[in-house]
Amino acid sequence: MAGFTLIEKIIKKHTDASDEDVYPGNIVWINLDIVTARDYAGPQVIDLFLENYPGSKTFDSDKIIFTPDCYPYGNDPKHVKDQEKIRVFAKEHDIQVTDLGSGIGSHLLFRRGLSKPGEIAFGADSHYNILGALGILGQGAGDVMLAFAFKTGKSWIKIPETVKVKLEGKYTWPTTSKDLALYVLKQLHEYGITGKAVEFYGDVISELTIEDRVTLCSLITEASGMIGFVPADEVTAEYYKQFNIEIDLLTGDEAANYTSELTINIDNLGLYVACPPHPHNVKPIEEVVGTPINSIIIGSCTNGSASDIHQAAKILKGYQISSEVRFGIVPATREDFVEINLDGDMTIILEAGGNFFGAGCSTCAKGQYGLTGGVTAVTLTTGNRNTQGKIGPADVYLASPVVAAATAIEGKIAKPIIRDD
Amino acid sequence: MSSEIIYGKARKVLVDDIDTDQIFHQSLLTIHNPEEIKPHIFGNLDGYRDFGKEDNAGKILVVGKNFGKGSTRQQAVTGFIAHRIKAIIGASFGPIYYSNAVNAGLLLIEVSEIANFSIEENDELEIDVTQSLLTNKTQGTNIKCERIPIPVLDIVEAGGLMSLGEKF
Repeated sequence: MAGFTLIEKIIKKHTDASDEDVYPGNIVWINLDIVTARDYAGPQVIDLFLENYPGSKTFDSDKIIFTPDCYPYGNDPKHVKDQEKIRVFAKEHDIQVTDLGSGIGSHLLFRRGLSKPGEIAFGADSHYNILGALGILGQGAGDVMLAFAFKTGKSWIKIPETVKVKLEGKYTWPTTSKDLALYVLKQLHEYGITGKAVEFYGDVISELTIEDRVTLCSLITEASGMIGFVPADEVTAEYYKQFNIEIDLLTGDEAANYTSELTINIDNLGLYVACPPHPHNVKPIEEVVGTPINSIIIGSCTNGSASDIHQAAKILKGYQISSEVRFGIVPATREDFVEINLDGDMTIILEAGGNFFGAGCSTCAKGQYGLTGGVTAVTLTTGNRNTQGKIGPADVYLASPVVAAATAIEGKIAKPIIRDD
Repeated sequence: MSSEIIYGKARKVLVDDIDTDQIFHQSLLTIHNPEEIKPHIFGNLDGYRDFGKEDNAGKILVVGKNFGKGSTRQQAVTGFIAHRIKAIIGASFGPIYYSNAVNAGLLLIEVSEIANFSIEENDELEIDVTQSLLTNKTQGTNIKCERIPIPVLDIVEAGGLMSLGEKF
């Protein structure tokens, strides 16, 4: 074989199977570096573990973390009981819990340096593949897979085909990585990447921050792809220095067996909005400008970082949010909360009329259903899913924090007013 | 595998891109009992909201492409097992959904050209697992399926992944 794709290289390092067995379509057993579960699914993982492996220990309690992030307010007695079940089990098995208010598990893995490039991390979160932004093979998994992994430290994986995507050109503010992600989602959904891995390359990559990369990779799930990778580079290496972690700059081999190569030109990238009823129903903002919106959320693993909230603050500074609009901000992690507090963005947004909620998954999780409202609440969120009925009974639009903030001022989908400051 | 030939009547839900929130809505995620999940299946999918209350036992579900995209929720698989659906045939499946189904012992069969293969509601279908062949016995036609990897068959035959946990 002429070489291996990035995901094949990571799998090779984590399997007892021979190199000859590592090819697309084949299934191999892999050893996991980290396994997590949260307040959604975590309790079922515990139940399955206890039912099937009574009296057993986990494979390695240092490689398991509970990250309750879905229901930070425990606004249903069932959630409170579920969260308690996690704490009791964790204590008994000496497992770390990043408890309520710590934030989104997938984000904590990189914000706290708990996982590094080249590793494999599994969790009960379909956007665990955002970790591909750091060259980590993150995968969402269901209750059964995770309970099995708790016991064995193993999982099976169907080795995906890999599409090499070259992003050609550059974009400028107020276009941001969310617009890039939406545009790329639309292209990849049309192209067809179901079950496939994607590796992103192109000159623009070196200018994307870790947060930008997370946003880009977060919409691969919405194209039914398995994972999008930004191979670890100098930006990634610099990021891990804060944890005194040295990383390997792992990339796919030039001569690897890529299924196909696709070039996406991003030179004239504008602002984009995903319209109901699918995330891939992406339209240039010009087609939907003026659509009335009365509920706006900034948050989620796609756009809940301090840098995302900063983008919104930049637009909102000195303005008032329309009295017709409820504007909620859900920082991804406690670290993001601290950051926006220190740099003053939190005050700017509060003065503009925004409303902060505790760190966590925001509208994507049922526990925070009430963030959006009822049948009259037409929502625009910076999240990743707008499937009809998912986060509220009315229409849901997806856009960048910049567009969210501009829309909040107008009470209808709007382009930002560009200022010199 | 114990049942190399799977028979069942077709139950068509030929819609592309069915998300897990359309299969089992997130507002129901605290429900875990299979019998309680059952009536809610497709409760958020236009045109199929009554599916959960209908008798689908022994049927083979026929779906479009990207079926089960979206979240990791196991209930979106459990509900079909509770309905005693024998297998799901689709053009393609969300990767997490595929794992969740296999791990729970529910067989998914990929037929990329399923939209161009004539199947009417309640047609008698036969899936030859080892030959990777789907036959519509009512219409006397057949089409190749994607090969099902051996480890998948092993897991499904074992009744799901959990039973293999002690082997490692």
